Amino acid sequence: MSFEIMSISSVLIQKQAVAELEKCNDFTTQFRLTLSQRDAVELVETRTLALKSNGRIEFGGGVIEKIIREFCNSPYLSMHNYAETLHDLTDMFYYYKNETLELMSDDDLIKFMKKSFDGLCQGSLELLSGRELANMARNLRFGYTPEYLEGLACGEEDEDEEY
Amino acid sequence: MKNIEKRHIIDSNNLSGEFYFTSIVQEGYAYGLLNDSDIEDIKLQCLKLLSNKSELYNGGESSSIRIEAAESIMKSNLYTIGVYLKSLPDADFAVSELKMVSIPEMYQKGRALISGKVHSAKHIYKMAKANRLINLNYTYNATLDDNGLGIFFKLYNPDYEAHEVPASIDYQLCNPITDLTGIEFIHKYLENLFLENEFCSYFNDDNIDHILCGYDEGYKDLLINIFEQVLTVALGCMLANSMVVKLDISEEKIRRLYNNLSKEDDYLLALKICEANEKILQELNISSLSLRRYIERSLPKITSNIVHAVKTNTLGKTIVSPSNPDLKPKIQFLSGVKMDDGKYRKFIEELLICRYSSDKLALIKEKVKSFGDIEDLLFDAQLSEEEITSVLGMLGDVEIAELIRRHPLKSDIQAVDLSEVEQALRLFLISYIDQLTADRQDHIFEILNHLIDD
Repeated sequence: MSFEIMSISSVLIQKQAVAELEKCNDFTTQFRLTLSQRDAVELVETRTLALKSNGRIEFGGGVIEKIIREFCNSPYLSMHNYAETLHDLTDMFYYYKNETLELMSDDDLIKFMKKSFDGLCQGSLELLSGRELANMARNLRFGYTPEYLEGLACGEEDEDEEY
Repeated sequence: MKNIEKRHIIDSNNLSGEFYFTSIVQEGYAYGLLNDSDIEDIKLQCLKLLSNKSELYNGGESSSIRIEAAESIMKSNLYTIGVYLKSLPDADFAVSELKMVSIPEMYQKGRALISGKVHSAKHIYKMAKANRLINLNYTYNATLDDNGLGIFFKLYNPDYEAHEVPASIDYQLCNPITDLTGIEFIHKYLENLFLENEFCSYFNDDNIDHILCGYDEGYKDLLINIFEQVLTVALGCMLANSMVVKLDISEEKIRRLYNNLSKEDDYLLALKICEANEKILQELNISSLSLRRYIERSLPKITSNIVHAVKTNTLGKTIVSPSNPDLKPKIQFLSGVKMDDGKYRKFIEELLICRYSSDKLALIKEKVKSFGDIEDLLFDAQLSEEEITSVLGMLGDVEIAELIRRHPLKSDIQAVDLSEVEQALRLFLISYIDQLTADRQDHIFEILNHLIDD
């Protein structure tokens, strides 16, 4: 008989999470974005894998719902890349949750992701993960504000150009 | 009819003190007191509690948590519930409580008990500090200090790490605590330490210091239990009809005691020790029931030590006679006035250009008048092993002993931090001493024991 967390948590949590994701369709239909039941199940599986590979555990619906609510009005999301983007964003979220040493709350991290995705990255998930989030995480680890090095780097580039 | 005891289904001996909750659930399931659905319900409730605690832990800012943190919170929760279940009259009752009362409710009750225990442990800590011995033993003092046990009360986190013991505890008790953790461990440790201090307080601190010196002069750096040494010597004194309060038993008396005890078999020996213990309790007028029980619990260990010592004819190592380091003869070594730096530099230059060893030795004999200069030239004059051995041959036993005191013969691992010249000198010194006769070696080491710091 084991009271280890991983052995008692999974099935019930997953069922609950799928139901919560399906409910999100009520809100996202206005943006012509919906998830099928299969999409929802796969997203929960992605979340489970992401949590496992990043050494984390989550109770309840989790952050996918928050990601959906934040990203559903993005001009770079449409029905054909909706589910796929959500998979990547979920993966990214848990990875950078650890990389930022949990110094940023869920809401702030998702907001930062959305702002960068729609802004500097112009819908590129590669830029979001490999540049914006990586810079932000490094800044936080070194005790700077999330945007600190970004501004300095731009300044340096400008100076280089002048010379 | 007064002695009828209630029969219990669960054997409390099978329960773990450290993981009480898990073991009681396992035993309850094994004896059929809990079925599969009860277990499932308990697990789900534990998960819900963990979920709520994790939310609090994250301050509502994060929905996920690192697995290590979650596991620690889970352990803390189960430990807290275990503390409550332990407080119930028996294990059977605890299992029925598991079925009747919700996990969060039991957790809250356990949490309240832990708060009470922390409060009580703080009080016992103050008492243990108040009746502490004046003793040189490092681990004893470091453990009782604010940075040892005291730090526990600053770092203990009963909400999320109730099962941890964030304290620096190196001092070993006579009865080690092996089956408890968290605040229960600290509470029990402090209780036992207080009782050990209380027993030792019946004796003079100086007398305790002397028997510990008799055990080993370097006792201040040893991981020993003071109470155990004191009780052993007190038993020895009682068995040899010496004054127990003074802890004064001579080597001759120990020899005679050995002659008496070696005639007895193990059982009779143990009986004699028990009787001696009773007499000690009477002589010292120890009325505290908890202290009497603690001493009785310590007896089997001490008895087995004495029995073993009698069998191996090493009673003098177990029951030690006191030794007062202040009464031992001391040798203060005066190394004489060193030559001034300019002269010394000239002398070394002269020594370095000497072609033959015999010239070097003649020069050293002629110019060097102090031990300090000899010591310096061993490092500075780039002498070969043979030359160093010859220089050492010029020295008397006291000078060699002083040289060993200043450059102790350490093991290879300890010598790693030393400079190359220093390592070489120590090696030559060891090989020089090895080639001396056994009598002279003994004499040198005898002198070494009496040399005191400058």
